[in-house]
Amino acid sequence: MQQLNPSEISEIIKKRIDNLDVTSQAQNEGTVVSVFDGIVRIHGLADVMYGEMIEFEGGVYGLALNLERDSVGAVVLGDYKNIAEGQTAKCTGRILEVPTGEAMLGRVVDALGNPIDGKGPIETTTKAPVERVAPGVISRQGVDQPLETGYKSVDSMVPVGRGQRELIIGDRQTGKSAMAIDAIINQKGTGVKCVYVAIGQKQSSIANVVRKLEEHGAMEHTIIVAAGASDPASMLYLAPYSGCAMGEYFLDKGEDALIVYDDLTKQAWAYRQISLLLKRPPGREAYPGDVFYLHSRLLERACRVNPDYVKNVSGVEGQTGSLTALPIIETQGGDVSAFVPTNVISITDGQIFLETGLFNSGIRPAMNAGVSVSRVGGAAQTKIIKKLGGGIRLALAQYRELAAFAQFASDLDDATRAQLEFGQRVTELMKQKQYAPMSTGEMGLSIFAATEGFLDDVEVNKIGDFEAALISYANSEFADLMAQINVKGDYSKDIAAGLKELVEKFKATQAW
Amino acid sequence: MAELTTLARPYAKAAFAEALEQNALVQWSDMLSIAAQFAADDGLEKVLLHPGLTAEQQATALTDLCGDKLNQAGKNFLMILSENKRLTLLPQIVEAFEELKAAQEHAIDVTVVSAFELTDAQQETLSQALKNKLQCDVRLTGEVDQTLVGGVIIRAGDLVIDGSVRGKLAKLAEAMNS
Repeated sequence: MQQLNPSEISEIIKKRIDNLDVTSQAQNEGTVVSVFDGIVRIHGLADVMYGEMIEFEGGVYGLALNLERDSVGAVVLGDYKNIAEGQTAKCTGRILEVPTGEAMLGRVVDALGNPIDGKGPIETTTKAPVERVAPGVISRQGVDQPLETGYKSVDSMVPVGRGQRELIIGDRQTGKSAMAIDAIINQKGTGVKCVYVAIGQKQSSIANVVRKLEEHGAMEHTIIVAAGASDPASMLYLAPYSGCAMGEYFLDKGEDALIVYDDLTKQAWAYRQISLLLKRPPGREAYPGDVFYLHSRLLERACRVNPDYVKNVSGVEGQTGSLTALPIIETQGGDVSAFVPTNVISITDGQIFLETGLFNSGIRPAMNAGVSVSRVGGAAQTKIIKKLGGGIRLALAQYRELAAFAQFASDLDDATRAQLEFGQRVTELMKQKQYAPMSTGEMGLSIFAATEGFLDDVEVNKIGDFEAALISYANSEFADLMAQINVKGDYSKDIAAGLKELVEKFKATQAW
Repeated sequence: MAELTTLARPYAKAAFAEALEQNALVQWSDMLSIAAQFAADDGLEKVLLHPGLTAEQQATALTDLCGDKLNQAGKNFLMILSENKRLTLLPQIVEAFEELKAAQEHAIDVTVVSAFELTDAQQETLSQALKNKLQCDVRLTGEVDQTLVGGVIIRAGDLVIDGSVRGKLAKLAEAMNS
């Protein structure tokens, strides 16, 4: 029996017929000369524009990337098996666009914005071109609001501000994606909309991410753009730009958004494949000459814009907009001096280094606090974390130096031993489980306990239990104080006194 | 094909410049199209690509076939092509030559595909309208394709104006399915 589709409602069909423009327009047509590996060469198409969509027979689209004297090189967006030599190819006069809007939230879409989660069509009318020039100097504003990732180690030592680009870099299996996904989960209830762009990942990994986000109630504020490992290279190349266009919708409306590119190494690979097949000359590591521009134009679009810009673009008054980017780069054997890692490091406003050694020795997140930096986030840090967290970074730096030295020394003076012990405790305290982001209050409390010396009489292997017990005690007995810190994030004498009282009471009455 | 056009372009340009200088565009056009027709023939193509034959032998084979249709300049042209092993490019050269010729004459070949045979008056109206739009002389050729259902498709180079009922139906189908 034939079934009716949701799109076959008379009213919808009528509306579509009303909107149909049947006036015949002059079009540019060409002939397909060759098809190979997703690349099509077309003869004719004299008026084609760079980056224009080209329509092939059977409704498949392509993207014009090489405009040569006698032919046009295009990548096919989708299945190229039905395209044959001699078929006609038409100019559409359109630059590639993807649907945007609130209706996209909670959905999984492909690089062209088509839903792939089986939840039916996306009801949205707004569209945005995938490529857009980043807002200029006049439209921008400094980064001064924090974007909390929910990780103690990140928020205290390498804070991320709204509108910042912070690179997450590390070898495979060091928890890069986990960190980005936790950052998305932590945006629940903050009004920050998230876009997760999965590039070249296994379908099973993508399904896992969707499930985890759903479990933690984070799908409602998240769009997932998925270009899996089995999708054509053109989709992998386009996915970050599509995701960025979807994020920019919120930026333009004066809202805050977070976008995760997981990962840009694979996008560079896909672009290398396309470029080599288009016969562009290969350069270092066989990447084409414009691989820097590939990432710089993408990451420049993540920024904070001022109210004037927002007013001009969307008419919303008195709101600043921001798009924070967390690009991910996978290194091979810890080699950060390879081509793509160095490029992206130089583009972003800081990086979080994750190391295999740390990961395997149980320090998770495996962040190397020495080489991880945030160039602009300091200005955006919550006051309490800024005040208390300053000591943490220093303690860890001294600890690392001393620890290396202390391996050879037989007996150490008391000051050195105290520093080593403190360093050990801080290292232990910075450990945090996956899917367990912390609020500002909880984070402030933990760091307060460490810097004020409340951990000195706690055994190193009990630090985790101590922290967990302390936080649950604080949330039940000192809920007002925690709420106060969470809302304002200020650090004053009163708050310090309150925290001190809290920890002292806890140590006097509770066990861990 | 695209690469062949690139290879053929300098020859076509040279032949065209020579023809223009001698004021013999039509004659050159005839010579080239005859030579091209022979060169495209399967049997002769084998000769033209045969590694055992010298360039001169191959050129002679072609000029002999063309007979007295070729003047000395034409024969020399084929000889040069043969020396450079480009005799098989002749069809592409003719194409490029005709394009240059049309540009010189401000003329364009237009194919009109219609569902039914067009009347002379209709053809006249069409060519007048196209002349205004394209700003050059229009050489109209008509074709009939009943699958269009109605209306016409106009092709001028790579410019296509689809005013057929079939095209409109396709658009409607796309709009309703999207």
